[in-house]
Amino acid sequence: MSDMMFAPGSYFDNIDKFANSLGYQNAAIVMELAAIPWASPEERDMFIVGLTGEDVKGGNEKYYIKNKF
Amino acid sequence: MAGNKNSGGYRPNAPQNNPANVSATGGAGQSGNYTGFGYGQNQELNQSRVAGNQAMQSIQANTPKPQGPYGGINMPQLGTLMDDTINPSEPITAGLDFGPGPGSEALPKQFQNNTRPQENMQIVKDYLPDLALAAQSPNAPDSFKRFVNYLAGL
Repeated sequence: MSDMMFAPGSYFDNIDKFANSLGYQNAAIVMELAAIPWASPEERDMFIVGLTGEDVKGGNEKYYIKNKF
Repeated sequence: MAGNKNSGGYRPNAPQNNPANVSATGGAGQSGNYTGFGYGQNQELNQSRVAGNQAMQSIQANTPKPQGPYGGINMPQLGTLMDDTINPSEPITAGLDFGPGPGSEALPKQFQNNTRPQENMQIVKDYLPDLALAAQSPNAPDSFKRFVNYLAGL
């Protein structure tokens, strides 16, 4: 179960990508966009790139910050 | 019979003889919708109601009719969210606080009410328990945990 939780295109993966690409302060719109049934992770990423003009952020920053959880 | 001494006969001061008493809306006559031409103009048409009606209809047909309050104004059609922008020189994120273009400070004052803190608090209330649970997953990326930490700190 936990393996699939952050699979590309999953709900939590969407949250991770939108939150880190759009900014944490936009949490409300992050949650709305993450709930959209994107056809594929690539389509979602294209949307983010089109919106921000930058590469998609999040998901690949391993061991960067020690977390509380 | 003792009648009114002012009744009957021609009275120069009667209302119908006052040239100032002219209806602002004009009159439509009693025998149709033909309002006719001014006296002395097109006398033959004035004397024929059918021909007069036809003449007036042809005149009215050539007169531009009002098309509502925005008639004659070329309004752009509203598109959908996924349509191409109609203003390609302006970034689509103009007015938002991320992406290219000016931020929310460029919006008119009535659109500058910042409701994000309230919205974020609602997000925390609704989603934080589930997000915190997901953040405990061994596969949770650090970027996701950082976002959850941000929400937990609000």
